[in-house]
Amino acid sequence: MILTPEVLAILILNIVFFFFGAIAFILSIKIFLKWDINSSDKLQYKLEKQSFLTATIIKYIFAIKLPLFLFFIFTLDKISSVLTGAMCAAGVVDATEFGIYLFMLKIINIYLFGFWLNLHYLDIKNENMPYTKLKFGFFIAAFFLFIAEIALEGMMFGAIDVDKMVSCCGTLYSSSATSYISNIFLIDTPILLALFYGNFLLLILFYFFKNRYLFAIANLFFIVISIISLIAFFGTYIYELPTHHCPFCFLQKDYYYVGYVIYVLLFVGTFYGLSIGLIDIPQKEKEKNYKISLFFNTLYIVLVTAYPIIYYIKNGVWL
Amino acid sequence: MIELKNVTKIYEINKNNKVTALNDVSLKFKEGELIVLKGASGSGKSTILSLLAALSKPTSGEVIVDGKRISKLPDNFASVYRRDNIGFIFQKYNLIPTLSVKENILIPLIPSNPLESEAQEKLAKAMERFNIAHKKDAIVRNLSGGEQQRVAIARAHINDPKIIIADEPTANLDEKLSNHFIQILKELKSSNKTIIVATHDPLFFDLDFVDREIQVHNGKIVL
Repeated sequence: MILTPEVLAILILNIVFFFFGAIAFILSIKIFLKWDINSSDKLQYKLEKQSFLTATIIKYIFAIKLPLFLFFIFTLDKISSVLTGAMCAAGVVDATEFGIYLFMLKIINIYLFGFWLNLHYLDIKNENMPYTKLKFGFFIAAFFLFIAEIALEGMMFGAIDVDKMVSCCGTLYSSSATSYISNIFLIDTPILLALFYGNFLLLILFYFFKNRYLFAIANLFFIVISIISLIAFFGTYIYELPTHHCPFCFLQKDYYYVGYVIYVLLFVGTFYGLSIGLIDIPQKEKEKNYKISLFFNTLYIVLVTAYPIIYYIKNGVWL
Repeated sequence: MIELKNVTKIYEINKNNKVTALNDVSLKFKEGELIVLKGASGSGKSTILSLLAALSKPTSGEVIVDGKRISKLPDNFASVYRRDNIGFIFQKYNLIPTLSVKENILIPLIPSNPLESEAQEKLAKAMERFNIAHKKDAIVRNLSGGEQQRVAIARAHINDPKIIIADEPTANLDEKLSNHFIQILKELKSSNKTIIVATHDPLFFDLDFVDREIQVHNGKIVL
């Protein structure tokens, strides 16, 4: 087990989140089952009061959990310095059998938590609270993933053995690796880039067509293709090393923490894009979400594209 | 139109101590009416006022104002409803003692952030109407009870609310000042405001300009 101040902070917060989350979960079940906005009976008024309390608890848990994801990455990166063999967060993720599942679950959860916050924001903006039942139903489902994340986090930090040698990112993210990650490198670069920029053009197209389902689906593909192209192609230009494909190293100081900017742009852009498809919101809000999504996705494209172009301008060759 | 439909309000002091302030009360007030709610202390008059102003929610039943179920409004929307529709006059005036007359009167305008010229125009009108303009820069704690009540009325009126709610407005005034307050109410009624006064002051009873007197007793309306 590893207990650095950062890990302790995460574990203590998890205990607090679990306690308040469990209270919110119990109340959410009650609200979800009994909510009837048209009723004026005693129970409904009680539920209206409880829904305010419950939503406030959930709001603060999720609002803290979102930036905490970045803190989690930062913590993994910091721990890597005490694990033999690890050069960055990738080594820590690979150090235990839980790491990769936790990491994937965390990415899914930040989208779910963000979606809940967005739903809550829309709900409290309307005096008829149209999304109350939906948002508490959504929380009931998300709670299990929230608990799974807390459990996996505890198990991962508990299973880290500082005396055990771990793999470095150079081994994990290389074309000769035997894991599923090596499949990424089987895709030809021109095809990969065509898919990446083609997907972005589709986003623009669906933005003008205002087709919310197609826009959301294109965003879903954009997450996948962006991460693959980041590992296989753009990352090498950030490192200026054709053999280095790690999606974590550029989160470090050596690369001016640019990874945090890259991931925040990608997650915010695709989050708003996915939200449009998941729920039919008022036109004004929908238009706002379209714009935010396209704005952040465009910034992401500009940022990652800048690296190879600048490299080419400086050196006159591609990697 | 203001309507209370089968409203019950129970204050839960603790698990074993519950007070039923209103018990299945149904009432209707028409626009422009002046209503006096009569009843002894603790009869439920103030609870009716707080429900009408969306300051509290019923335990069951509905409060409907102009077709809108205000008892179902979330807190942030209830605040907007109060700001736009309700003027309050309290027994103890509830003025901010360290502020001047004009500052106290201007307070209800702060959330809507009007233009300075518009605010000054409304202020001047309100002070003139309720005969307090000559004291505009005085600190309110230095004013007499009657003057403080006029400031409170001007404050309640500055937003031009549709409904004016007065809770025991003359409890701290002598008979002369109370009669003066009643004259002000009469004048307000002429501007088509719905005015609801909760009082046990006999001076309010049998006034010719009062549309209805409603007796409240032990949380029920006495017919």
